[in-house]
Amino acid sequence: MAKSLLVISRQAPWSGLSARESLDIVLAGGAFDLPIGLLFMDDGVFQLAQSQAPSALQQKDLTANLKALEMFGVEDIYACGKSLAERGMFPGNLNLDIRHLPQEQDISELIDRYDHVITL
Amino acid sequence: MATLHVLSHSPFADSRLTSCLRLLGNKDALLLCGDATYALAQATAPLQALEDRAGRLEVYVLSEDAQARNVTLPGWVKSVDYPGFVELSIRYDRVNTWL
Amino acid sequence: MKFAIAVFSAAHAPSSRRALLFAQAVLAGGHEIVRLFFYQDGVHSASGNIVAPQDEQDIAAQWQDFIGAHQLDGVVCIAAALRRGVLNEEEAQRYQKPAANLSNSWELSGLGQLHDAAQSADRLICFGGQ
Repeated sequence: MAKSLLVISRQAPWSGLSARESLDIVLAGGAFDLPIGLLFMDDGVFQLAQSQAPSALQQKDLTANLKALEMFGVEDIYACGKSLAERGMFPGNLNLDIRHLPQEQDISELIDRYDHVITL
Repeated sequence: MATLHVLSHSPFADSRLTSCLRLLGNKDALLLCGDATYALAQATAPLQALEDRAGRLEVYVLSEDAQARNVTLPGWVKSVDYPGFVELSIRYDRVNTWL
Repeated sequence: MKFAIAVFSAAHAPSSRRALLFAQAVLAGGHEIVRLFFYQDGVHSASGNIVAPQDEQDIAAQWQDFIGAHQLDGVVCIAAALRRGVLNEEEAQRYQKPAANLSNSWELSGLGQLHDAAQSADRLICFGGQ
């Protein structure tokens, strides 16, 4: 049975390469049909904000990569409820369908379900 | 199933320790290395936050980092060298480094 | 036990040295390293162009020696390497860049190698940040 990997993405989308490169790990895993999960927490939830305009920074739109997750067979996508709430965001107004984890305990239980974890 | 969380950033400059403490499972452990060792600095909020959990959280520190920073180790912290670090990574089911 | 070790920071970062010492302890403890995978700024740990001051540790050179001495599989993510200017001969020629600087213990490849390593390993350990 394939080993599973959870990628925890904690950085905001335009703070450097972390958001993009953590997503690349997830997409590569999906391309190889591996069991991959993706959790957005802390500033990583800002990647889920609607109506971002990365062209103002001459950056590529990460939303396209997020939308590609489904095509690559990555469906286990989560967001930390506390991180969203702290940042004035809520599950209904995001740019992606995610599974909302309202309690911190949900996150430790999530991590426990995976063989490996990478927190960027 | 238990996770060894590895932290290397100073808790005074950074929110990783705070975030980590919020989501620890009840069998998880913490390894402090690099500047995360400053979390053990005396009479500080991070030390208090760890001390509050001392009975139910295993806290390890990489000995070379504590030594370099002249950090006094409380009795509830276990110091490990690199072979000890390897042993911890085997003892726990997975290692989550907060990059 | 089988370990996959991923390094995300440059050679001058304390975490790169920590990864190296950990890797040495893994082998000394009789365990196996299935692959070393360098990603993000970790690609700089594979540069052959680093000139460390005489009185400082040359961690990049030590990685090179360690991989060579134990014939380990040292892989650098090609996408991360290209955007950070770490190139082998082939890529330097392909993109008509003035120099190739990847140390010869390393091979450029894709993120698939990280996933492959994670599949073979009992433990995936990451080093990076500070």
